[in-house]
Amino acid sequence: MTVVLAPMRNRASYRLQIHLLLVPYGLALGLLVFAPMLYTLALSFTEYDIFSPPRWIALGNFTRLLSDSLFWTALGNSLWFALGTVLLRVAGALLLALALNRDGRAIEFARAVIYLPTIMPEVAYALVWLLILNPGYGPLNLALGAVGLPQFPWLQTEFTARLSLVVMSGFELGEGFVLLLAALQTIPHELFEASALDGASRAQTFRRVIWPLLVPSLLLLAFRDTALSFYDSFAPSVITTETGPYYATFFLPNYIFNKSFGLFQYGYGSAMTVCLYLVGLLLIALQYGALKRGQASDEL
Amino acid sequence: MNSKRVFGRVARYGLLGALCLIFAFPLLWMVSYSLRSVALPPPVRLEFFAPPIAFENYARVLGVLPLLQYMGNSLKVVALAVPLTVLFASWTGFALAQVSRRVRVPLLALSVALLLVPAPALWVPRFLLFAQLGWIYTFAPLIAPALMGTSPFYAIMFYIAFARIPLDLYESARLDGAHPLTVWYALALPLARPTLVAVTLLSAVAYWSNFVDPLLYLRSEANYTLPVGVQILEQAIKANWPLLMAGAVLMAAPVVLLFGFTQRLFLQGQDSLVRWLR
Repeated sequence: MTVVLAPMRNRASYRLQIHLLLVPYGLALGLLVFAPMLYTLALSFTEYDIFSPPRWIALGNFTRLLSDSLFWTALGNSLWFALGTVLLRVAGALLLALALNRDGRAIEFARAVIYLPTIMPEVAYALVWLLILNPGYGPLNLALGAVGLPQFPWLQTEFTARLSLVVMSGFELGEGFVLLLAALQTIPHELFEASALDGASRAQTFRRVIWPLLVPSLLLLAFRDTALSFYDSFAPSVITTETGPYYATFFLPNYIFNKSFGLFQYGYGSAMTVCLYLVGLLLIALQYGALKRGQASDEL
Repeated sequence: MNSKRVFGRVARYGLLGALCLIFAFPLLWMVSYSLRSVALPPPVRLEFFAPPIAFENYARVLGVLPLLQYMGNSLKVVALAVPLTVLFASWTGFALAQVSRRVRVPLLALSVALLLVPAPALWVPRFLLFAQLGWIYTFAPLIAPALMGTSPFYAIMFYIAFARIPLDLYESARLDGAHPLTVWYALALPLARPTLVAVTLLSAVAYWSNFVDPLLYLRSEANYTLPVGVQILEQAIKANWPLLMAGAVLMAAPVVLLFGFTQRLFLQGQDSLVRWLR
């Protein structure tokens, strides 16, 4: 009897212990993600300055947001930045992955170099771009001058300041590049050969064979880059543009930061955070919808 | 025909070179400018490493702010957070690879969904939490994310690595009476060495470079880390670009060197992730 039961008991305790290994992850997620999410939602209906207890004001913060023009500016800027960087990064990563999907020492070197802007600490990267874009002696204007092109005060006009931040973030496409490169390399060679035997052109092979296999990776990338874009706009907007000129690079996280950490309006900051969640979800839903529709029209 | 082929080759290498120059440019300019003598007027044309090379900029920038102390703080954070990250992310991945489908699938879906939470959405509540706990005068807020393996992404990476190990191997270790932690340490981790190294490197770089968390959650100057220090440096010596770039290089150099030696690990090893996605 015991001979049969011992392994069973052993097995049950092993299974239990395996589940116990998930406990730290669950607890930490609860403490650092789920509790904060619920706390944010609760605080968004209150006025809270940390010194006195939160005061319930129902939808007060949200009605205030509706008439807060700076909030709408920040929201618009964040959307601009998200769409710009996601487009640049995903398209750039895809083009570079397609171009560098071959063997050779030079290619390998180039792949590593492409990862450099991604690996750089964000403060160092934002600082060097401030120098690169300097109107008087920045290398970008020096290079433009050297080839006889007009120079430009990049960070002094609203459009170009925003564009500059999008472009500098766009160069940080290393993770997507590596992911898509891996995705391309896992496509079996026979598929290409079969497609070529069928007399397909390169464009057709791309559309029929490569593209469908890349879609999961592209979706993951676009979603992830959308969520990341809110974080990624912060350091450059603080360091490179100082949120200027005229709030042109003032993003939603900047406003959350200023209101909460500068003015102790944690309730108002929480209401904006709730809006941040909604905007993130909306952007991801839109991309998903666009891609699904694209796929549906492909199948016709 | 032959000349056409030569031309194609030259064009291809030219394009590759231009690509490399563009992507390496920020780093090159940073290093080059950090060695520019402060006595020189600002450049009027593109020039790399203009003589005289001023190595003394590095000594001088260390005199402006206690950057070495901040660097020490950054190292402390990395030294504490990275092992904890590896520990908890690998435990999670190890367990996920062995639990039943009913537990695994929802947890993995949740982990992927959490990758889509914008980090700034957690700033306010986390700060209030850390303030309540009295952590804002310590390093604790900077290290806390390590308790969840820093990012669910690392837990997923470990899951993918551990799931490739045949279940029979776990099973036979269990039948030998081995404790799960023994199986994890002696069997699973050695087999997942590339993932172990990759998570170590990625998280080390992330903690070393982290600028926002110390800015938000640290209230005592003695605890400042290097990224915050370099930002303060910018406020202190605005427009003294050679010294500022020296500060930036001090922060970027360890990361870039680490990357230089281990770039294969950064550039490969995503194959299994891609396969898993399909």
